[in-house]
Amino acid sequence: MDIDAGLEVAVVDRATESPAQKKARFERDALAYTSQLYAAALRYTKNTQDAQDLVQDTYAKAFVAFHQFEPGTNLKAWLYRILTTTFINTYRKDQRRPQLSDGELEDWQIFEAASHTSDQGRSAEDVALDGIADGDVKDALAAMPEDFRMAVYLADVEGFSYKEIAEIVGVPSGTVMSRLHRGRKLLRESLAEYAKERGFNRGGSHV
Amino acid sequence: MPKSAVSIEEAVMSDLQWVSCEQIMPALVLFIDHELPTESEYQVFEFHFQNCPPCLQTMEHERTAIEFMQNLLRNTCTEQAPEGLNERILQQTQMLAGQTQVEFFSQTTITEFSFDGTTSIQVTQEFTQEIRHDFN
Repeated sequence: MDIDAGLEVAVVDRATESPAQKKARFERDALAYTSQLYAAALRYTKNTQDAQDLVQDTYAKAFVAFHQFEPGTNLKAWLYRILTTTFINTYRKDQRRPQLSDGELEDWQIFEAASHTSDQGRSAEDVALDGIADGDVKDALAAMPEDFRMAVYLADVEGFSYKEIAEIVGVPSGTVMSRLHRGRKLLRESLAEYAKERGFNRGGSHV
Repeated sequence: MPKSAVSIEEAVMSDLQWVSCEQIMPALVLFIDHELPTESEYQVFEFHFQNCPPCLQTMEHERTAIEFMQNLLRNTCTEQAPEGLNERILQQTQMLAGQTQVEFFSQTTITEFSFDGTTSIQVTQEFTQEIRHDFN
């Protein structure tokens, strides 16, 4: 994953740039990310219509605020921040969702601390995941609690650092760590379940 | 394995001392995610792995599992923006670029109130932004 893809060369003088030049720069640089943002918006909203609206809203806000974006810094992260904030403030507002417990900060270290033996059997689980279908992966992601899904998506698909995710989502880095770790664990378990079901089905007499 | 009470930070300070597995394991995921705060800490981890096959094996297991999941997710979440969406964003940008006048209004309210012999002043400032569209 090319993390530097979001870095633009700083050759722009925003003080002397004309509105037409600003618009051209926006169309050239920011519009390169529509598909990436759309795929993320699909994970956030879970439906194509809301995802399209969310991306369109994101670009409206991004254009209006484009003079605040500092050329040479990470444009992709800046766009993701607008996308995520817009989603949280607008699309999530009327969804009644269970809030994560306050304990999330402390227990991110549940990573089987100091145990060498807890990993046994994990490789068998991973091998089983080879037969997993694209639709299963999307379903498993969609079924995850939203905060975990965002953390996993931003880290493991987009390759953002903990610090970048913290800025995009607007939470402390420790919270990102917690959500990412628990999200990965949930996703792994959930995919193992899908794989197990598929394994049983494959073993049957029908296709 | 030799055991010591040296923390990762102390090990960094004192040039690659042995730290215990209990120090390494909880931060394993930070090592895998390249999120350790300093380069010296990577050296502490590498030194530990060279001398502790079980920790090395656990780390490699975990790294393989994480990378496997990352590849799976990246190969799955590859939707392209629908043609109409790109078109609408371009039109929207065109429309927003036509907004020429932006004006700011601010209104300041000062409220003075007394309670238990103490006088306080509350200052409220409200900002309004008006954008006029320039359709032509």
